[in-house]
Amino acid sequence: MIISLKDNLTWLQVRRYWELLHVLVSRNLKVRYRGSFLGVYWSLLNPLIMTGLYTAIFGATFASYYGNSIMNYVLAAFTGLVVINFFSACTSQALSSVVGNGSLLNKIRLPVSVFPLSMIAANVFQFAVGTFPLLAVMTFLNSKSLANVLALIFPFLALVLVCTGIGFLVSALYVFFRDLPYFYELVVFVIWLSSPIFYPAAIVPKQVKPFLNLNPLSPIIESLRQITLSGSPPDLALIWGALLSGVIILTLGWTCFHLWRHQFMDLL
Amino acid sequence: MEVIRLDNVSLWRRTQEEFSYDLKKTLLSVFEGKYRQPAKKLVLDKINLVVKKGEKIGIIGANGSGKSTLLKIISGILQPTTGSVRVRGQIAPLIELGAGFDAEISVIDNILLYGVLLGFSRAEMQQRIQSILEFAELQDYTFVPVKGLSSGMVARLGFAIATDIQPDILILDEVLSVGDESFKNKCKQRIDNFWDANATVLVVSHDLSFVQQSCVRGIWLDHGQLRFMGNANETVDCYLKSLNKL
Repeated sequence: MIISLKDNLTWLQVRRYWELLHVLVSRNLKVRYRGSFLGVYWSLLNPLIMTGLYTAIFGATFASYYGNSIMNYVLAAFTGLVVINFFSACTSQALSSVVGNGSLLNKIRLPVSVFPLSMIAANVFQFAVGTFPLLAVMTFLNSKSLANVLALIFPFLALVLVCTGIGFLVSALYVFFRDLPYFYELVVFVIWLSSPIFYPAAIVPKQVKPFLNLNPLSPIIESLRQITLSGSPPDLALIWGALLSGVIILTLGWTCFHLWRHQFMDLL
Repeated sequence: MEVIRLDNVSLWRRTQEEFSYDLKKTLLSVFEGKYRQPAKKLVLDKINLVVKKGEKIGIIGANGSGKSTLLKIISGILQPTTGSVRVRGQIAPLIELGAGFDAEISVIDNILLYGVLLGFSRAEMQQRIQSILEFAELQDYTFVPVKGLSSGMVARLGFAIATDIQPDILILDEVLSVGDESFKNKCKQRIDNFWDANATVLVVSHDLSFVQQSCVRGIWLDHGQLRFMGNANETVDCYLKSLNKL
């Protein structure tokens, strides 16, 4: 009897959490796309323009690293940009989500973690409708194999895990340190430059390379490029590497968030 | 049947002076060896309280005496540092209406959003939309973004959503009537319905005559301590006497 009551309670909590997530995500998306007729596809504009810019500037110089094909450079730059854009959008929106809803948290009892999570979920939705189809078509044209298209899920899943972990971490830190956005901007820039997005990883000096491997996005970009561009079947080792980095970061972020959240209310 | 029980509830919170906190300053103070643990203050001191079903309780006391904090503890927004809180039944908080609104999205979307935030399911809220719009007299504004409403209309909407249900426990923090005169009457009627409908009500108010008239029991908080608890009239008298002494 007691057990069934407990089960019932947790089920109710799960349902409430789900409902909250649902309304918050639809709120986020509605606010973002109200009155813009391109809607979700605005989010594609940024990586497309950036890819064009990089190709115009670096394309000819770096083409030799990409089998003397500018097209390969374009695709490599685009996949990298998609990942880094998703990362920076997710985490910087998650950063302010807890503090931004502070007055609400002071008035209604709500699970705090739903706010950073709703930001990530809104971006996942946007990615799934906007960028993902384009990547899938690219992959299919390159590899002529459905297995590669399906395997795209894994690096993307790893990316979502990394973003959720970092999102939890920064949203919690922001409660304590209100000047965090300035520092975080710098961090994003470092991650952005240290991931081989618009330059080939081969030009990085040997002494510096080990540091670049610390970048949590590197294994994800590598795995995504292998699946999308190489034309060979998905490399499982790369996929596992990406997922592992995702799980580690999510665990880290969630642990910090969980340990600190009892102190949030005094500062909101 | 008791619906709320507080046993020896104490709450320590970080003090207001600590509200300037940033990474730069914290790092500097660590390097200079001046870092100290944030100071904490006792906001509620060993509160014991049992509320039975259907009781109407007025909470009075000076500003900063912990009245709203006590309500937050009961609503589960704050966790007590020591002691235990037990609550049976659904709590409807009626604190500063409109806090959950998003000005960018339409009235109808806000009804769903606010309702779910307050703890109802989306399906439930969808059925209530009509009655809420009707009560708030905003049928013509269904698809207008909330930023297009006047502040009085927003308050009306907040009140209509928060009171469209019959909660087991109603918590009122200084908001009893909003909007123009005709709407105030509607509000009062609805609040009176709650009063009659055997709901448990907790009110924080500085309107002492209101507490005397509408509440059965009174609680007087002073600097986080429960100074007096008893009949509403006695509590108000006690409170006034202490004020006159000063």
